[in-house]
Amino acid sequence: MTARALLRSRVALLLLFVVPTLFVALIALITSHRRIVVELPSAGVGALLEMSQRQQGLVFVGLAVVGILTAFLALDLLQRDAEATRRLVLCGYRPREIIAARLTVLVAIVMVIASYVAVLVQIVFRPAHPAAMWLGFLLGGWVYGCYGVLVGALVRRELEGILLVVLLANIDVGWVQNPVYYADAQVKSVIRSLPAHFPSQVSMLAAFTDHPVGAAALRAFAYGAVLLAVALVVFHRRMQPGRR
Amino acid sequence: MSGEPLLEVRGLSKSFGRHAVLTGVELKVGPGELVGVTGENGSGKSTLLKILAGRLRPDAGTWVLRGRLGYCPQEPLVFGRLTVAENFACFAAAYGLADWRPAEDDLLGRFRFAPYARTLVHELSAGTRQKLNLALALLHGPDVLLLDEPYSGFDWETYLHFWECAESLRAAGRGLLVVSHFVYERVRFDRLCALRDGKLWEA
Repeated sequence: MTARALLRSRVALLLLFVVPTLFVALIALITSHRRIVVELPSAGVGALLEMSQRQQGLVFVGLAVVGILTAFLALDLLQRDAEATRRLVLCGYRPREIIAARLTVLVAIVMVIASYVAVLVQIVFRPAHPAAMWLGFLLGGWVYGCYGVLVGALVRRELEGILLVVLLANIDVGWVQNPVYYADAQVKSVIRSLPAHFPSQVSMLAAFTDHPVGAAALRAFAYGAVLLAVALVVFHRRMQPGRR
Repeated sequence: MSGEPLLEVRGLSKSFGRHAVLTGVELKVGPGELVGVTGENGSGKSTLLKILAGRLRPDAGTWVLRGRLGYCPQEPLVFGRLTVAENFACFAAAYGLADWRPAEDDLLGRFRFAPYARTLVHELSAGTRQKLNLALALLHGPDVLLLDEPYSGFDWETYLHFWECAESLRAAGRGLLVVSHFVYERVRFDRLCALRDGKLWEA
């Protein structure tokens, strides 16, 4: 039923494909092939890499669009009809069944968006390791999907939820995870502690180096898992009778 | 009232901040009894039902519920992006009903919204949404019904059908607690209580 309800939001589904296309097209249009030097911490301390500005921008925006879209969709999955969902629980549905259904839909969404964006990016350039770059996008969707679930479980009102998603996603996956900023950052530990850091490392390493991505991928997965675990506890508590 | 009460409320209290809404509410609803609760806006009628339905936690008090509960909230808590039939299917699964179709067909017919079974809920009028809201509370044949403004938005004929339904439930030995700020026909109730200053008074 969760998937069926989502599939009926035709405009939202259309935007899932239109927004990434616009983002990627915009970067392809406005960037040049000028060579830039960036620092990727997962490639080793102080390791500097040279790459095309356009290619770097495409991978960066690819991850950003996957993260932002999945966070919003996850938020919508949790917040929409929240009181009707609670009524369902009061009538006997188990919260874990509800969250399992929504997570299944979320994982499917992440797979579709990440795959579509990976294909779009590869129309413009050929990354060193396409499958691993796709994995980076997938993990970006995973981490931000879990963040969206957490926000949806924590806050009741749509506006607060949107602000929480926009604020973090914009500054993290949409700005400071760009390797261009990392090299000159004053406090790099802050950047490394944000949700999109490891997915960003996976996609950048995969696109531009032969460096293994396993460690960063595992950390990205664990980051999302922790966010999800907290979200599940909060959701379960809120669904209990006698709570609001 | 004959037999053991289906619903027995003792000393129920609830405050929101410094505003005490319920202060020691006592109430009993027996089998085959239709009890009405009326009161001004903000007197705590919906709060009382929300507590009994499990949506809110009281500050003090206890209640005993004997049998299955059916709860119709004041605002239609239904899934807007699902059809009427899909909403029935969701709630049937929640109630653990294997074959809910006969009950669904009966309710669709009784409240005269069968033509909308395949319509998305967000496309329904407010009155039809309220019919679904009420029907979902009745789907599993509950023993005790908590109905919060159940006929708001109904046209006159549906209002009369609602009372026919309530009568048949009462005749079947169910207990009904109906909350409304408008009581047009006192004669329909076995007992009518007024919620005033946080307490229930026999009206």
